[in-house]
Amino acid sequence: MKTLVWAEIVKLMKQSKTYYALGAVFLIECLIFITAYYQGSAILDVLLDSLKQSFYFEGTLLNGNLILYIVLNGLWFNVPLIIMIITSGILTDEYKDGTIQTTLLQAVDKGSFIGAKYVVAIGFTLFVIAFMMVSSGILAYTIFGKGDLVVYLQTLNFFPAADAFQRIGWAFASGAVAMLFYSVVSMTLAVWIKEAAKTWIASALFLIITNLLLKLDLGIAIANHFFFPKLMDTWQAFFYHEIDWGLVWLNNTILLGYGVCLIGLGVWTFRKQDIG
Amino acid sequence: MLLGEKLSKTYSSGNVLDNVTVQIVPGQIYGLLGRNGAGKSTLFKILCGLIKPDTGTVSVQAARAKSIGAIIEKPGLYPYLNAADNLRIFAGIQGLSQDKGHMTQHLMKVGLPIDRKDPVRNFSMGMKQRLGIAIALLNDPEYLVLDEPFNGLDPIGVASLIQLIQQLAFTDRIGILLSSHLMVELTKCCHYLYVIDEGKMVNAGFTHQLIQDHIQRFSIAADNIAAAQAIQAYQPVIGMNDVKITCPASQITTVLQQLMAEGIRITACTPELTLEQLIKQPRA
Repeated sequence: MKTLVWAEIVKLMKQSKTYYALGAVFLIECLIFITAYYQGSAILDVLLDSLKQSFYFEGTLLNGNLILYIVLNGLWFNVPLIIMIITSGILTDEYKDGTIQTTLLQAVDKGSFIGAKYVVAIGFTLFVIAFMMVSSGILAYTIFGKGDLVVYLQTLNFFPAADAFQRIGWAFASGAVAMLFYSVVSMTLAVWIKEAAKTWIASALFLIITNLLLKLDLGIAIANHFFFPKLMDTWQAFFYHEIDWGLVWLNNTILLGYGVCLIGLGVWTFRKQDIG
Repeated sequence: MLLGEKLSKTYSSGNVLDNVTVQIVPGQIYGLLGRNGAGKSTLFKILCGLIKPDTGTVSVQAARAKSIGAIIEKPGLYPYLNAADNLRIFAGIQGLSQDKGHMTQHLMKVGLPIDRKDPVRNFSMGMKQRLGIAIALLNDPEYLVLDEPFNGLDPIGVASLIQLIQQLAFTDRIGILLSSHLMVELTKCCHYLYVIDEGKMVNAGFTHQLIQDHIQRFSIAADNIAAAQAIQAYQPVIGMNDVKITCPASQITTVLQQLMAEGIRITACTPELTLEQLIKQPRA
């Protein structure tokens, strides 16, 4: 298994599309930064005009923390799409190039082969989230500096700069769980569909439907807890004044459980499937 | 011994293999002849364990870690890696040594240049076939299965590949099964031929025996042959550089002796066996 994982990492690193994906994430960040720079200040002025007369805010409100919050909001559709394309490609490219046959004609176990692909997909997803957090953090704090964070979630929530930094860190960690779920979904779709373009379409469709269902209320509390689209924005819980840690852990555990089930299903299906 | 016994496979499109049996022995070269879509690739995939047969069994008696090496349909290579890196990946996943010396040795064995560092997407089909064989040979398999290995090769490439295949069978004692729809190439290098059509094994036998039993036409190249008396009884068809005659294999020696007696200098005599003959006339 270790040798298979290493081979997958080498293949991923040798492909130019991996770097295109990281470049795309960085480009999206930059575009969000530019938009935030030109529009953020004006929006904040309108939102907070009356409050500024009664309260004292440390530093400018258009600061690195707010920019990171905007990046967080902006990336939960674009980034999973990129992640799903790359992670599904880890398998669909093997079908396209015929290397899946060449690999399985060696002394290699089918289950270990697909297991290694899931491991690398998960590793790559975590790397992208870490890259996104570090690159956007460096850029945001360098360009916009630190300061208090103001967020509108049902009401205006204010967080001192140090507290905001911690909350953003936790939000990235929680968001990473959602991203892992998406990457596992795309890999499992690749196991079923095998063809790159069709897998991308199915992945994009899954992402769109998940986003559309995010706000759907099933009317039953327990059903809402287990309905996966409603678990995707758990990271927002860190921007309420009181963090509901119980909800955060429960949602992420359920989501991870779904991920593990999907991996099990993908490995089982792959082992049963004919190759070619 | 590699034995596929009474193998059958049906897809939604129809019956692809019907009760097919093949047997491969180390050190021998076997050919599988059949038209496109006859079921050759499906049979190979079943023998290699990539797909499961509906009925029948595959059994391999092999003492080595990897029993079968194969290329099926096309050599599956990572197009963005160079030849040595491709070998390294496939060696690594089996826990084999990936050092430069071993990789160079494998490349040289199949006649690939060791100084090419560019990605294999730039390689010719012949070079890809050779690299595919090098990968199939990793971990020292006892049997080698090559599906349409001559596809896309020029005559020099074909001759060179036949030489490599013979070397692997005779020197390394590997049992080799080749498929092709090209009669001439297979008859040149195989000890034994299987003929498959519409999923059924319609003919099988030692190559020389099949040729002897089925051959009815010969192409003879010689100076002034068109006027020779010896060929007149054999419906001669005069070509640009040869004459084609229709005669049973048992009589060709007599015809050639008569031609020489007439003072004709023969430069070549080639049997012309077609796939159709092998399909339509199974051996008794």
